[in-house]
Amino acid sequence: MPDNIYLPELARITYIKEEVAGERSIKTFRVEPVNGDSFEHECGQCAMLSIFGRGEMMISIASSPLVKDYKQFSIMRVGRVSAAFHDLAVGDVVGIRGPYGNSFPVDDWRGKNLYFIGGGCGLAPIWPVITTAVAQRDSFKNITVFYGGRSPRDIMYKAELEKLRGVADVHLSVDKAEDGWDAYCGFVPANVMDKEPSSDNAIAITCGPPIMIKYVIQNLRSLGFADEQIYTTLENKMKCGLGKCGRCNVGKDYVCVKGPVYSWAELKELPEEY
Amino acid sequence: MINVRDIRDAARDLLAKGEVRAVIGYRRGSRGMAAEPVVITAPEQADELVWDPTCFHNLALYLVEDRKFLAHSRKAPGAPIAIIAKGCDARAIVVLMQEHYFKREEVYIIGVSCEGVGVLDERKLAGHVPGTPTDAAFEGDDFVFTTPEGEKRLPAREVMADRCLECRAPFPKEHNVVFGEDKTGRELAAPFAALARFEEQGATERWDFWRRQFERCIRCFACRSVCPMCYCDECVVDSITFPVAPETTADEKANRIRWIERSAVRSENITYHMTRAMHLAGRCIDCGECERVCPVNIPLRLLNNKMEREARERFGYEPGASIGAASLVASFNDSDPGSFIR
Amino acid sequence: MEKILHKERIDDWISALTGWEVLSPALEDGIWAYRPVSGAIRLDHPNTTQPPKGLAFPQREVFFSFEQIKGEAPRLTQILPDTVQRAVFGVRPCDGRGAVRMDRVFGDHVEDTYYQARRKNVAYVGLACNQPPSANCFCLSVGGSPVSTDGLDVLLTDLGDRYFVAAVTETGKALMTAANSLFDEPADADRQQLKSVHTEALAQPQRAVHNPDAVPAKLKASFKSPLWEELARACIGCGICTFLCPTCHCFDINDEVTGSAPLKGNRVRTWDNCQFPDFTMHTSGHNPRPTVGARLRQRVCHKFQYFPENFGMPQCTGCGRCISECPVGIDIVSVVNKVVEHAG
Repeated sequence: MPDNIYLPELARITYIKEEVAGERSIKTFRVEPVNGDSFEHECGQCAMLSIFGRGEMMISIASSPLVKDYKQFSIMRVGRVSAAFHDLAVGDVVGIRGPYGNSFPVDDWRGKNLYFIGGGCGLAPIWPVITTAVAQRDSFKNITVFYGGRSPRDIMYKAELEKLRGVADVHLSVDKAEDGWDAYCGFVPANVMDKEPSSDNAIAITCGPPIMIKYVIQNLRSLGFADEQIYTTLENKMKCGLGKCGRCNVGKDYVCVKGPVYSWAELKELPEEY
Repeated sequence: MINVRDIRDAARDLLAKGEVRAVIGYRRGSRGMAAEPVVITAPEQADELVWDPTCFHNLALYLVEDRKFLAHSRKAPGAPIAIIAKGCDARAIVVLMQEHYFKREEVYIIGVSCEGVGVLDERKLAGHVPGTPTDAAFEGDDFVFTTPEGEKRLPAREVMADRCLECRAPFPKEHNVVFGEDKTGRELAAPFAALARFEEQGATERWDFWRRQFERCIRCFACRSVCPMCYCDECVVDSITFPVAPETTADEKANRIRWIERSAVRSENITYHMTRAMHLAGRCIDCGECERVCPVNIPLRLLNNKMEREARERFGYEPGASIGAASLVASFNDSDPGSFIR
Repeated sequence: MEKILHKERIDDWISALTGWEVLSPALEDGIWAYRPVSGAIRLDHPNTTQPPKGLAFPQREVFFSFEQIKGEAPRLTQILPDTVQRAVFGVRPCDGRGAVRMDRVFGDHVEDTYYQARRKNVAYVGLACNQPPSANCFCLSVGGSPVSTDGLDVLLTDLGDRYFVAAVTETGKALMTAANSLFDEPADADRQQLKSVHTEALAQPQRAVHNPDAVPAKLKASFKSPLWEELARACIGCGICTFLCPTCHCFDINDEVTGSAPLKGNRVRTWDNCQFPDFTMHTSGHNPRPTVGARLRQRVCHKFQYFPENFGMPQCTGCGRCISECPVGIDIVSVVNKVVEHAG
C-alpha cells in the first residue's frame, strides 16, 4: 500500500479494443504504469480507475497475475465514468490504485475440474482465473467455459474464447437466436443444465447479471454441487475500496475488503442485501 | 375545544367502512412529549391517534410519499387515503392539488383546527418549564405541560411557533370533515412580522448574518426532505436520488448536471438554499417545518417568507388558497408588473 | 496523574497551552458547537449539537489537486491537512468513546492517510456527566458510562468550585504539566467527593436498551422482519441522524472541477449518508437498499450488529443526538427494543 491510500498512480492506455458495439458497448483497455512498476495482484482483485475531473470506478482486473507488463480491464459503457473511458484513446493517461479485495483461492483448486460460467460482461472478472488455469494447464483437470450474451454481437473476448477450444471445452450461448448462430440458444443457466457438469472433484466459478447468478447457483446445487464448490464475485457501489466509506457492505462484510470473491457457503450466511 | 375521541371515532369509522385505506395522523412518540407521524390502516389503531400542541409536523409530506410509493410499485390507489390536517397542512394539500400531484377525491381531509392557538415551538420552551415535560395539552388559549415537578400552564402565545403567531389561515378550509372552531381573523402578530424584524438591520448586517448561517449548514437536506412541496424525484440543485430505468442511457447519466458540489461550504450552501427558495416561490404555505427541523438553527422561514411576501405584494397571490387557482409561476395576468420587460 | 484545578484558574490553564489551538463549547444562534476559545471558557453546556468527529474527519477533505493539459499526463499534487495541534475542552464521555470507534474504522486494515494526519494532532479534554446532558442519553446500555475515559486524554469532573483533573494518556499529562503551577494535589476529601459524584452520576436514570448482550443475535435473526418498514414509515431520508452521530463515518469521493482548459480541480471527500436513497444505487439502477425500511435496518444493524461482529464493541455510544434531533421522532432505542422484542 502506498503512503497515501487515496492518491492514484498514473497509468497510460496502451491498447483499446471494442469487444461489443452498440448502446451498452464494451471496450477492453490495457494500461501500463507511467512511473515505475505496477502493483501485483491476484485473481479476482479489483482496481480503482480514475479519470480526473470525472471520478473513479471500481473494476475487476481482467488480466492474469502472471501477466506483468500490463493490467487489463473490460469496461461496459453504462454511466458517468465508464462513458468517459470510452472516449479515451491509446496514449491517454488515467489514474489507478489497488489492488483491492480478496481473491479466488486458485491454489486450492489445483487438480480439480473447473467450470467457468459467465454472462454479459461478467466474463471479465473471472477471466484472470481462466487464463491463469490455462497458462498452468497441467495443474488442473478439465476446464470448461460456459459463456453467453443476449445476441452474437454481445459476446466479448470472441477471439480469445476460440483460442481456448484446444485446451478447454467452450460452450457459448445467446439468449435470442440469430442467423448464422449454430451454438446453444437460451439463457446461460439453461445451457449449464443442458451440458450436465459433474460435481465430482469440481469447482464452479460464476459471474454475470444477478439474475443469472441466482439461477446458475440454483442449477448447480440441483446437479449436486456443494455450497463450498460454488464461487462467485459480487459487485456493489464503491468509493474508497478500503472498507472505510461505509457504502459497499453486505451485512458485516465490506465487499471491497472481505469480498468480492465469495463461495456460496460464505455468501448464504450474509444478509440477502445485494 | 376538540375532544380527541371525536377524531379517533372519525378515523375508526372511515377505516372500518373501508372508505379510506389508511389514515395519516399523529400518535404519541417514544422520546419525551413530542407527537410523531403515524399511518394507521386498521380501525383498532385509531385509539393511538393524539391531538396536542406537539402535533407540529406537516403530514402532507406523507401524501407525497404515499403517491411515490404507489407509482413505484405500479399500484392503483384504490380507496382514498385520509389525513389529519391543520389549517397550514390543508393549504399544503391544496398546493399539491393545484399542481395536479393528486386529485381531490383521492384524499379524505380530516380537518383539525388549532383554534387559533397554533402549535408549540420547542425551542421557545427552554426556561419556561422546569425539567423535561412528558405531556402537552391544549386548554383554551393555554398549553398545559405535565412535568416531573407538576403541571405547568403557559399562555400559548408565549411558546407558539412564530409562523403560528403570523398565520392568517388557521382553519383548514379544504376538508371532508372538520373538528374545532374557525378562528380565522384572530391575529396575534402581523404577517411576515419576523421578516420585518429581521429587515430592520442594514444590508451589511443581514449579509453577515446569512454568511454565518450558511457556513453552519451541514447539508443534511432535512429542510428539503421535510417539505411536501419539494417532491421532485431528482432535485435540480443537488440530488440524493437519481431515477434510473432500464432505458436510461449512459449519456444521460454522464451528462447529468451537478449545479453544486457536495462540499458543505458557504458558496455551495448558498446556492442550494437560494435555489430551493426560488423553486418554492408562490408555493410555500409557511408550515415552518424547514426551520423547525434544521439541526443547526438556520432561520430558513425568512428565506421563504421573503418570496411569499413578494408573491403577495407584487402579484396578489396566496399559495394554497383554493384548489382551482392556477399556480403563480404557471400563470400570467395582464395586470402583472412588467416594468422589467424592456 | 490526578490534580485539582480551581475553576477560576481554568482560563489560565488554556492560556498556558501555547502551541495548541483550544476549542470549547460555545453557544451561537441557540446551537452549542466547539469553537476556538474566545474570552472565558464555558463548560456549562449540555452536549454540542455536533460531535467533535469533524476535527479528525471534517465534512470536506481535499485529497489532492489535479491539473491536466490536453495531450499530457495529469499532474497530481497531494494536499495534506494542516499540522495545527488542537485541544477540545468539554468533550462528553460518549463522544470520547465515539473517537475510539472512528479510530478503529480509519486505522484498521489500512490507515486512512488524512484521518491519521489530523487525529494525531487532536486531544480531548473530557467532562464527566454529573447529570445526563440529554433526556435521550443511554450510554450505560452500550458499554459506556457518564464517567468513562475511553478516547479521552484528560477527564474533568465538576466538584462544584473545582475540577478533579485526571490524565488518561501521555498527551493528557503533557497538557496538564504545561501549567503545572495552576494545579493542586488532590486531598482525601477531594477523592471522596469524586467517588460520590461519580457514583451519583452512574445512578442517574437514562433511556435503556433492554438486554443489550442479546441484541446482535436478535437483529441478525430479524433481517427479514416486516417491522423495519413499519418503524421507518415516518423517516424523511435526511442526514441528521448520521451527520450528528459521533461514530457515523460514511463518505463520498468526488472530483470538483475548477477549470476546464487546462483541466483543473480537486479530488474531495465529503460526508455521505446511508439514509440517502441513492447511497447504494448502482449505475444500472439496481439498489440493494431501495426502501426506507432497508436503510433504517442498515443504520441500526451497523451500530448494533455488524460493528460488534467486526470489532467486538457496539458502534453506538448512546449520546442520544439522533433521537433528540430526528424531525419525526425515529428513536433508535425504541427501534432496537421493538425489533428485539419481536424477534422473540
